[in-house]
Amino acid sequence: MSKKSVLIEKKGAVVFLLLNRPETSNLVDEELALEIKDNCRYINEDPNMRVMILTGIGTCFSTGRRTLPERMYSYPDNWINKIQTAESIAKVNIPTIAAINGDALDQGLELALACDLRVADEKAKLGFRDLSRGLFPWDGGTQRLPRIVGRSTALDLLLTSRILTAKRALTTGLVNHVTKQGNALNYAVTLASHIAKLAPIAIRYTKEAIQKGLDMPLDQGLRLEADLSFLLHGTRDRSEGIESFLSNREPHFLGK
Amino acid sequence: MHSFETLDFSVDDNVAVIMLNRPATRNAFNTKMRDDLFQVIEAIKEDNAITGSIIYGSGKDFCSGADLTEFGTAPSQSIARTVRWERDLWSLFLNNPKPIVAAVHGNCIGSGFEMALLCDLIMASYNARFSMPEARLGLIAAAGGTQTLPRSIGPSNTIDIFSSPKLITSRQAYSMGIVSSVVVKNRLIDAAKAQAAYLSKLRPELIAACKFAVNTGCSLPLDQGLRAETHTALRLMKIEKNNVVYS
Repeated sequence: MSKKSVLIEKKGAVVFLLLNRPETSNLVDEELALEIKDNCRYINEDPNMRVMILTGIGTCFSTGRRTLPERMYSYPDNWINKIQTAESIAKVNIPTIAAINGDALDQGLELALACDLRVADEKAKLGFRDLSRGLFPWDGGTQRLPRIVGRSTALDLLLTSRILTAKRALTTGLVNHVTKQGNALNYAVTLASHIAKLAPIAIRYTKEAIQKGLDMPLDQGLRLEADLSFLLHGTRDRSEGIESFLSNREPHFLGK
Repeated sequence: MHSFETLDFSVDDNVAVIMLNRPATRNAFNTKMRDDLFQVIEAIKEDNAITGSIIYGSGKDFCSGADLTEFGTAPSQSIARTVRWERDLWSLFLNNPKPIVAAVHGNCIGSGFEMALLCDLIMASYNARFSMPEARLGLIAAAGGTQTLPRSIGPSNTIDIFSSPKLITSRQAYSMGIVSSVVVKNRLIDAAKAQAAYLSKLRPELIAACKFAVNTGCSLPLDQGLRAETHTALRLMKIEKNNVVYS
């Protein structure tokens, strides 16, 4: 059996997706894309998982971008459908953390942008080299980047192919945390274990309200938020959360 | 070089250079400047020999804002409003498929700040100062500032800038993500020209596609923005034959 491009590991309620192509800097190719998509679907079907961490094996998170293979010249729509991966990560219904262990460039950065949180190693570099190479980003970069860092910074990074250090990425809001060298995954695990202790439906609804709400006029976003909050009224976790808080003990959430 | 009443326009190695030139008024933006800029930006768009541009101010400032001496001189509000959309300079800036870099030094106030925000990149000298004083004057920003700024730095920082008398320094503007780089004053114009020259050597259809995807995407729900991006990528693939695998 050939080596898997993506490894999946579960530790408690945390599921790890490990990009396992260190020899090609975890470049997303058709095979790796397919395995990410299959794994994301599988994670969405597992009710026991509460946080996902995406990271790279080796020195890079993921870098590079495949270009349309010659045999696909007549079928670019089919090919792009195969290679686009970020949306499947964005559709994961639990909180997702990109542990950016090393460089996250080009399509690799698009995968990280599709996660909810980004933790970067201080040595990691982030950016889009595409325009300088005559290429155009197509895995959500031109859409998710401005939504995260704003229009000005997004235009700057995309047009100039400027590569950011982790420190500068933190100032621009591109990453949420920067860690000492070699510690991105550890830090992501710490964040994940905190998130895993929260009421699972409540944190999923929070994610949904924020993401869908940003796509709506404010009044409709407020309505969505209120509706989700009313839906939580009927959950056992809500009673457990309030009771445990009032009696000063740790909550035990069932996701019900 | 072409001299207009309010600006100078020249082309240097495919890069158009626009110098706002009303130093006696600190390059205040008036209707004549609007008309001159309209001609110049339109010419840039049409001229195949021009592949990028920069805009900067002569004298000590980029632009000190709207020329207040002209206020109240329009024949009527209704006519002024009609003219605003007949001479829609600001959408000409925004929808120009070619890259434009603002090189900002000294004061960059009100409509000057808004004009810079309609460019693709703002490079600033250490002495540049930004502010939006409209509300202090009983006005509202009208060159897109209330729309462009929140899309760059979020609503809270935007309202802070619009409601504060303080001038934003270039370092602050850099931290907020308004300015892409800060350089020493005597290197500013060269640095902006170099940046524009770099951009003007990229494939022009990629620059246009990228500006389109980002600017259009800002107005769309994410799923529609993603579709616009994919559609743009497919269109570009159909005109390219490059299948090198990068890593």
